[in-house]
Amino acid sequence: MLKMTHLSKVYRTEVVETYALRDFNINVNEGEFVAVTGPSGSGKTTFLTIAGLLETFTGGQYHLDGVEVSNLNDNERSRIRNEKIGFIFQAFNLIPDLNVYDNVEVPLRYRGMKGPERKERIMQALERVGLASRAKHYPAELSGGQQQRVAIARALAGSPRLLLADEPTGNLDTQMARGVMELLEEIHREGATIVMVTHDPELAARAQRNVHIIDGQVVDLAEDPRFHQAVHAARANTPA
Amino acid sequence: MLQIKPILAALRRHKAGTILIALQIALTLAIVCNALFIIGQRLERVRRPTGMVETDLMAIQSRFVGTEENKTSPLIKADLQALRQLPGVQDVVSLNSYPLRGGGWSTGVRTDVDAKNSKAHTTQYFGDEHTLGTMGLHLLEGRNFRADEIMQADPQALPDSAAIIVSKALADKLYPEGHALGKPVYIGDSKSPSTIVGIVERLGVPWNGTWTDSFYENSLIQPVQLVSSFTNYLIRAKPGQLADVLKAAPAALVKVNRMRVIPSERGVRTFAQVREYAYKGDRGMAILMGVVCLVLLAITAAGIVGLTSFWVGQRRKQIGVRRALGATQRDILGYFLTENLLIGVAGVAIGALLAIGMNLWLVTQFEMARLSLAYVLVGVVALLLLGQGAVLAPAMRASRVPPVEATRSV
Repeated sequence: MLKMTHLSKVYRTEVVETYALRDFNINVNEGEFVAVTGPSGSGKTTFLTIAGLLETFTGGQYHLDGVEVSNLNDNERSRIRNEKIGFIFQAFNLIPDLNVYDNVEVPLRYRGMKGPERKERIMQALERVGLASRAKHYPAELSGGQQQRVAIARALAGSPRLLLADEPTGNLDTQMARGVMELLEEIHREGATIVMVTHDPELAARAQRNVHIIDGQVVDLAEDPRFHQAVHAARANTPA
Repeated sequence: MLQIKPILAALRRHKAGTILIALQIALTLAIVCNALFIIGQRLERVRRPTGMVETDLMAIQSRFVGTEENKTSPLIKADLQALRQLPGVQDVVSLNSYPLRGGGWSTGVRTDVDAKNSKAHTTQYFGDEHTLGTMGLHLLEGRNFRADEIMQADPQALPDSAAIIVSKALADKLYPEGHALGKPVYIGDSKSPSTIVGIVERLGVPWNGTWTDSFYENSLIQPVQLVSSFTNYLIRAKPGQLADVLKAAPAALVKVNRMRVIPSERGVRTFAQVREYAYKGDRGMAILMGVVCLVLLAITAAGIVGLTSFWVGQRRKQIGVRRALGATQRDILGYFLTENLLIGVAGVAIGALLAIGMNLWLVTQFEMARLSLAYVLVGVVALLLLGQGAVLAPAMRASRVPPVEATRSV
């Protein structure tokens, strides 16, 4: 589903070159739930933005759903984002001027979908996240957890091949975070491929597989006993 | 992609800015439409024909000094003779005034000797049998004056004229049913009829103020050579020789008689200069109105650029999110153009009503003409295009916001 090979991302200024990702390799299979962890500044978000085609990369190869994306133009990248990727952001990123229904509708409109089909998908997605009754509410009228559920509905409405979540519970309290996480697990059980960036070992422990990034590179978890212990402890505390 | 519904939904959440810009567009349209209408009317007036062959005409204003008023007749004759002998001159006439000169005589005329009120208001020109030829007037019916019909007269004691030549506009006004030729006209409070012996196609009045609009082409020519120290010579040059005549004519007059004053300012003018001077005010008004329109349009365009730039800055993250969710650069560009178009349509709808209302007020207060709907339509299209043009730069800036903006926290 997602395969990056020897990928690099360099930010250049007049005086310095900074490698955000260096010789980065990762392979996510269809149906997997992968948690990407790492300390601040390790390159987690850069990985996610490149994976989501929000940013270009400097070198290497990236295949998404079998398509090599490095040579795609802006329109083609937009189309792939719209049709194959669903985004869940830490700050929810709902459009404050639009109500819940219209927010979920945004990617479907960009796909050029007809009105009746849009309506059916929106209501299905909102029912899926338990917010069908809030369709006419504006984001400011919802709690943080509800806003993130709307964002998940927006990501799901287009039936994407890949869900990318950037610290999806980072702005939520524990109870709301748990609810959102359970929702993501449900979605995964239904067959979705999910890549979630987090710095929270407990959340990472609930994923199928963990990928750890340090200094822009994937490190072997077996060589990092501290992280291994943290994951182990987190799994022990997670209710079955 | 059609985005009207979500754009309207978003605009409802930004009422203040939306309403202010729509009102600015509305006011601009109302003022610009009426200003352009006034400009159009002024330009129409500036282009009004006089009925004369203007390209070959020039005028000289002369005042004899040292001669009694009632003894100037031979001096005028000598002047006319000298001018007619100039090689480039086709014909010359001495007149009390001529179209667009700025001053002249006017009077009421009746068709019934017992009528208390005049039937029409008209300008009076006093000239001889050379008047039609010099002015180049087109005689539609009847004849020119004969030499034996021309009377010498003191301007303070004008005789009744047995024969007169009138413009078609005056003839139609006096005799709407037609057949004015040969019919009587009573000039001023005269009890003696003047018979219409000729009808010319067109002859404008000497003034150009809006107060003359109702009788701009009502003119009559009486076969009278005024005996006065003050006279206007209207000279028709042969085709292509006006420049030579312009130099030779004043010199010829001075050669005939040095005891005269030809004003240095506007004493000797081509008719093109006469027209230019006459409509200086109208042109000035048209330019002023034009500048006001341009300033208003510039302010409106700046307002649109300002508001859209502000909104683009304010919605930078939102644009990034839209891009992340699949919007192309074209979608973002289209979003802002459509948003501006919707505000513009609301603005011009209100503006069109305001423009018509403003014109109705001007009609009742200043006797202005009714605004042609063509001006409103042109104004509507112009304002919408201006809006789209003004929003283009900030909209393009918005379209260049990268999708990664969605992940940035500030």
